[in-house]
Amino acid sequence: MRSLAAFRMVVHDRSSTAGALLGVVAIVFLVGQQLSVLFGLLNYMSVLVDHSNADAWITSADLRNADAGNLISARYLDRAMGFPQVQWAAPLLIGNGLFRTPDGSFEAIRVVGCRRPRLAGGPWDFAEADETALLDFESVTVDRLDFEKLGRPAVETVTEIGGRRVRVGAITDGARGFQGTLVFAPFDKVKEVAATPPGRYSAILLRFLPGIDHDDAVARLRSAMPGCSVFTTAELSRLTRLYYFTNTGIGGSFGFSTAIAVMIGIVIISLTMYASVLGRYRDFAVLRALGGRQRDVAAVVFSQALLIAGVGVFIGFVLLAALLNATRGSAIPSYMPSYVSPLLAGIAIVVSLLGSLVALRQALKAEPASVFH
Amino acid sequence: MHGLVLEHIARDFTDGRQVRRVLFPTDLEIAAGELTVLAGPSGSGKTTLLSIIGLVLRPSEGRLVLGNRDVSRLGEDAAAGVRLREYGFVFQQPMLVEGLSILENVLLSVAVQGKRPSKAMRKRAMDLLASLGLEATANQQPRLLSGGMKQRASIVRALLKSPSILLCDEPTSALDAESGQVVVRILKRIAIEEQRVVVVVSHDARVFPYADRLIKLENGRVVSDTREQYVEGSGLAS
Ligand SMILES: Nc1ncnc2c1ncn2[C@@H]1O[C@H](COP(=O)(O)OP(=O)(O)OP(=O)(O)O)[C@@H](O)[C@H]1O
Ligand SMILES: [Mg+2]
Repeated sequence: MRSLAAFRMVVHDRSSTAGALLGVVAIVFLVGQQLSVLFGLLNYMSVLVDHSNADAWITSADLRNADAGNLISARYLDRAMGFPQVQWAAPLLIGNGLFRTPDGSFEAIRVVGCRRPRLAGGPWDFAEADETALLDFESVTVDRLDFEKLGRPAVETVTEIGGRRVRVGAITDGARGFQGTLVFAPFDKVKEVAATPPGRYSAILLRFLPGIDHDDAVARLRSAMPGCSVFTTAELSRLTRLYYFTNTGIGGSFGFSTAIAVMIGIVIISLTMYASVLGRYRDFAVLRALGGRQRDVAAVVFSQALLIAGVGVFIGFVLLAALLNATRGSAIPSYMPSYVSPLLAGIAIVVSLLGSLVALRQALKAEPASVFH
Repeated sequence: MHGLVLEHIARDFTDGRQVRRVLFPTDLEIAAGELTVLAGPSGSGKTTLLSIIGLVLRPSEGRLVLGNRDVSRLGEDAAAGVRLREYGFVFQQPMLVEGLSILENVLLSVAVQGKRPSKAMRKRAMDLLASLGLEATANQQPRLLSGGMKQRASIVRALLKSPSILLCDEPTSALDAESGQVVVRILKRIAIEEQRVVVVVSHDARVFPYADRLIKLENGRVVSDTREQYVEGSGLAS
């Protein structure tokens, strides 16, 4: 009956309920949107590593993030292949270049070179054509998300990167790096474009044989190759994300705006619930006079907060889903790992309960004796 | 049904630094089965006395005995429990909770501590509403009812748990003459037929003819306490 009373009050006091709902929806939607952009950016940061399909990476020593590796000697490729745990090893060469757009201007890009025929570290999803395009020495890919920026270079467009002739062979889908536009090309094309000295790689990708303990294999590689760094793919991904997260101010800025959104939500919920309880002061006094204890009054207030939180979380998620749907496939980074939703709902509920504390204080002041005046 | 005994009940209020005695030590025995009316000028302490009897205000001195139990020094939760089990209240304003239907308002009086009202309780609520001519309003919102109907609904709320003590503060003052009479007649009938303690605070002279006992307060003191002499000639319970 207490929760029924709470429900009826919530339904009846429409304006304050709408206000408190707005607070909850704002938290779910704003914080959710922030988080989806953050996780979208995190994905961009480690996009090459995450999609490399490799078990481990060999890079230059003291690497701080996957985009800032120095060139390493090709000797390591042979040495890695000599390990009994290694199924295959493939080099990756990443260089910078200027892409000539069809209208004659230039865009700075990162060219990722992978070696035929395995194309390890190469593109993974395609909007048009496929990876067989990279089997041709001249061929490069551009991404759907960068299509406008690069001047709409359709498949078969012939242009230049770093003054070298290339042909757009395929259009990738969702290959976007945190550092900018990614163009995949055959290994030797990148060597030519970036003018890398011979016998040098940006990284070596490894795949272990089935059933091999990855951590153990990586440890062995490390001790055998003290001149470079060896990471499991997951380690390198984490290192890179953490690097950008802490060194670019992204973490601080997202943390700050999320905290502000949560605070605004708390304030809205507090104010509206407080106003609602003030308007219901007499009713709470009546509940007390009829034999309600303080904890019964608290139960009514908390039930109201939980009801509003529940409905608000629902509306917030519907809006958030609509936003994520609308921005999916666009250049706006957005990604929502599955564990974030319950977390977000939990935050919204805790915030609602916190917001109702001020109102609760007021409701508990309702004196049963006041009903006689 | 047991009666109520007030032993030396007094109450002080402090306004500012000054302590003011609002109710001087009072001894009263209030019996079940009669309509007790508490009268007196404004500020004489009627509401203060009723609040003490109703366990929503603590006396500064004295004891309040209900049955064999001193209930004047109970803790908050224990007092709430006694109010829930033993007391019905009718206030000057009906004080129904907006948003809840009339039936839900009535049921709230037995379910305020979180219990779910039983089927039998629901039926009793409907019967009581019907007996006061409110059966059609059970699912309506309080704001749709007239003042008299709301006050009757609040009487049903007070009666639902069959309280041994029914306390009413100026139950007729917000009503027109006719609705007021209806309400007083109902209260009188409950006192006599159901053998309950019914205390009505009123300075409405139209209520006095129905009183079986009329206690007059002035400046915090009982100045007269008379029985039955007003009853003759007045139309009793309908
Ligand atoms: N909470 C309080 N604090 C201080 N003084 C109070 C308080 N409640 C009542 N009083 C004082 O006690 C006196 C008696 O008040 P009470 O409400 O009992 O009078 P009453 O007989 O019910 O009057 P009325 O007919 O106007 O309702 C008044 O002088 C009032 O100002
Ligand atoms: Mg009064």
